[in-house]
Amino acid sequence: MLTIKQFASIPGGTDLTALYRATVGDYPKFFKMDTACKLGFLLTEQLADEPRFTPREDRAVLMFSTCGSLCNDRHYEETVLDFPSPSLFVYTLPNIITGEIAIRNKYEGETSAFVLERFAPETFVALVEEAFQDRVTQSAVCGWVDVRADDGFTAFAFLVERNGPGKAFNVQNLYGTVNQ
Amino acid sequence: METRVHITGAGVVSAVGCGQGETLDALRRGASGIAPVRFLQTEEKAFPVGEVKLSNAEMAERCGVLSDLSRTSLMGILALQEALEQAGLRNLAGIPLIGGTTVGGMDLTERTFPSYSPLHDCGASTDAIATHFGGAPWATTLSTACSSAANAVIFGANLIRSGQADIVAVGGSESLSDFHLHGFGSLMILDTAPCRPFDATRAGLNLGEGAAFLILESEASRKRRGAASLAVLSGFGNACDAFHQTASSENGEGAFLAMRKALQMAGLRPGDIDYVNAHGTGTPNNDASESAALRRIFGDAMPPVSSTKAFTGHTTSASGSIEAVFCLLALREGFIPANLNWMAADPACIVPTAGGPASLKHILCNAFGFGGNDSSFLFSKSDA
Amino acid sequence: MEQLINEIKLKLIDALNLDGMTPEDIDDNAPLFGDEGLGLDSIDVLELIVLLERNYGIRLANPQEGKKVFQSVAVMADYVASNRKK
Repeated sequence: MLTIKQFASIPGGTDLTALYRATVGDYPKFFKMDTACKLGFLLTEQLADEPRFTPREDRAVLMFSTCGSLCNDRHYEETVLDFPSPSLFVYTLPNIITGEIAIRNKYEGETSAFVLERFAPETFVALVEEAFQDRVTQSAVCGWVDVRADDGFTAFAFLVERNGPGKAFNVQNLYGTVNQ
Repeated sequence: METRVHITGAGVVSAVGCGQGETLDALRRGASGIAPVRFLQTEEKAFPVGEVKLSNAEMAERCGVLSDLSRTSLMGILALQEALEQAGLRNLAGIPLIGGTTVGGMDLTERTFPSYSPLHDCGASTDAIATHFGGAPWATTLSTACSSAANAVIFGANLIRSGQADIVAVGGSESLSDFHLHGFGSLMILDTAPCRPFDATRAGLNLGEGAAFLILESEASRKRRGAASLAVLSGFGNACDAFHQTASSENGEGAFLAMRKALQMAGLRPGDIDYVNAHGTGTPNNDASESAALRRIFGDAMPPVSSTKAFTGHTTSASGSIEAVFCLLALREGFIPANLNWMAADPACIVPTAGGPASLKHILCNAFGFGGNDSSFLFSKSDA
Repeated sequence: MEQLINEIKLKLIDALNLDGMTPEDIDDNAPLFGDEGLGLDSIDVLELIVLLERNYGIRLANPQEGKKVFQSVAVMADYVASNRKK
C-alpha cells in the first residue's frame, strides 16, 4: 500500500526568488530554470528526507500539469524570430522539471511527466501507483505543477512510499491534504 | 501477476520509407534518407534532415483523411494503420492508445503563429489518431523528449503485465518543426553533414521525423484471437542520468541503469544479447556516454552495436518506436542494420557493426531523452 | 576598454541570469568557467555565443572556440574590440 510521507505546496503568486533565498540559497543553477522547474525544485526541497544527495535508484519522480512547459515555450518562441536562445530551448520540454529534481537530489529512478486536460485525482493516483509496478521503486516524488504564467501557477507535491506509517495515498486523502 | 507481452503488429513511417517493406529494403541496401530540407517551411537550410518523403497532402490521401491534420498525426495514422492490419484488427475498439510526441501539431501553428492551431497540443495529436480509427476506450500522450515513444511502449507493457489491459496500441510520432530545428541549432549539436554515429569525426546529429506504432498483447488475448507473435517484449527499464538537462554523464549512469533493469527483468545476462540498436545520435557527447554505459554492461564481450540514425536522422519523440520496429525486422529477417558513415575508431567509443546476416534471439534497444530520461527495452524471439 | 568591460559584464549578468550580481562582483580576470569562477556551464557558453552575435556581430563557429574566447571578461573584451562588426 502506498502512503504519504510528506506534502508540500507553494501558493500561486509566491515570489520564488525570495523563497529560494530564504530556504536554500546555495544552488545558483536555480536562476537559470524556468518557473516550472523552479517550482519543482522548491517543492522537492520541502519534501526532502535523509539521506540527501546520495545517488539512489529506488525513488521515482512523476510530475503532472495541464500545460507542461508552455509558459517557457512562449518565451523561447519569441527569440526564434531573431536569435534562438539555447538556455530557453533547454526548458521547452514537460519533463525537464523531473530532470532538474533528479540532478539536484541524485534520483536515478524512473522519471515521467504527464500532461492532463485538468487536475484529475483518480488519474494522478493511478499513474503514481503504476510507477510502483517496477519493484525497484520504493518511493516517489509526485506533484502537480501547473504554470499558466510566471506569476500564475498551482504547485503542490507529495513524497509517497511503500507501506509507510503515514496516511494512505488515495483520492480521498489527496483531496483532504491538498485542500487543507 | 505478470503475463508475457507479445508484439502482434507493427507499423512505421520514416525517412527511409513508408511501411515495413520499404524500410527493410532501405536497411538492406544501406540507403540513407538524410537529405537537404524539402518539405519543412524554414529559413534554416544549413542542416540536412531525415524527412518522410511524402507531403501532407500525399499522406492525407493515403490515410483517406479529408481534414487538415498535423503532419505528426498523419504520420501516426499511417504507421498505426499498418500495425493494426498486421495484427488483424480493424480499429481501436477495446484498444487503448498511448502515443509519444513533443512537437504535436506545431507544424500547423507555425503556419498561423502568433495564433495557435486548435490541434497544436500533444494530446490533440494523439486524439486525432484515435478518432481516425473510430475512437479508443481511452488515449493518452507521453512527452519525455527523445524517450517518449519508448516510454509509451513501457507504459503499455506495464498495463498488460499488471492485468489492467489485454491489448494496447503504443508508439510515437514527431514531425519536423521550425521550433525545434532552431532549438537544436542553438544547442550547437546539429551537423551540417550527414551524421556519423560513434565515428571519431562525428560532429552532431541530423534531425529526422517519422512515426511507429506497435500492438502489444497479452498471451491470453493473442491466443484467443489467433494472432501471430512477432516477438516478445521480454524486458525494459527506465532510469534517470541525474546529470544535466540536455547532456549525458561521462560514465553513462542513466543508460547503464536502464539497460541493467531491462536485462534483469528479462532474466538474461549480457552474453545473451545478440545485437544492440543504440541511441547513437552522432553527437560527441551521447556516443561517448552511451559507449561508456555499454562497456560497463558488456565488458570485453561487446555484441554487435549499430545506430540506425544515419538512415533516419534522430526522430526525437518517435525514435524509440521507430527503432523498435527496426529491431523487429532484424529479429524476423536475421539481419543487423548497418551503422552507416562510420570510418574511424574513437577510443572513447565502441566500434559499431557494419551489419549483415546474423542469428538473432535477443535484441536490446536504447532511447535516451533530455532531462536524463533514459529507457532501454529488450525484444526476444517468441520461441526463445 | 573600461566601458566595454563594464558593458560586457552587464550583458553577461542579464544573459546568464546571474541574479543579484553587479559588475563590481565580477573580477575582470577571474575565470568564467570552473569552480573558482562563476561556475558557468556548457549551455552558458552557447548563450554567450548568441550574446556576441546579437550585440557585436561576431559569429563563433562552435562551443570549443567559445571556451577560448570566454576565459575571462578581460579576454572577451579584447576579442570583441578586435573583431566586432557592430
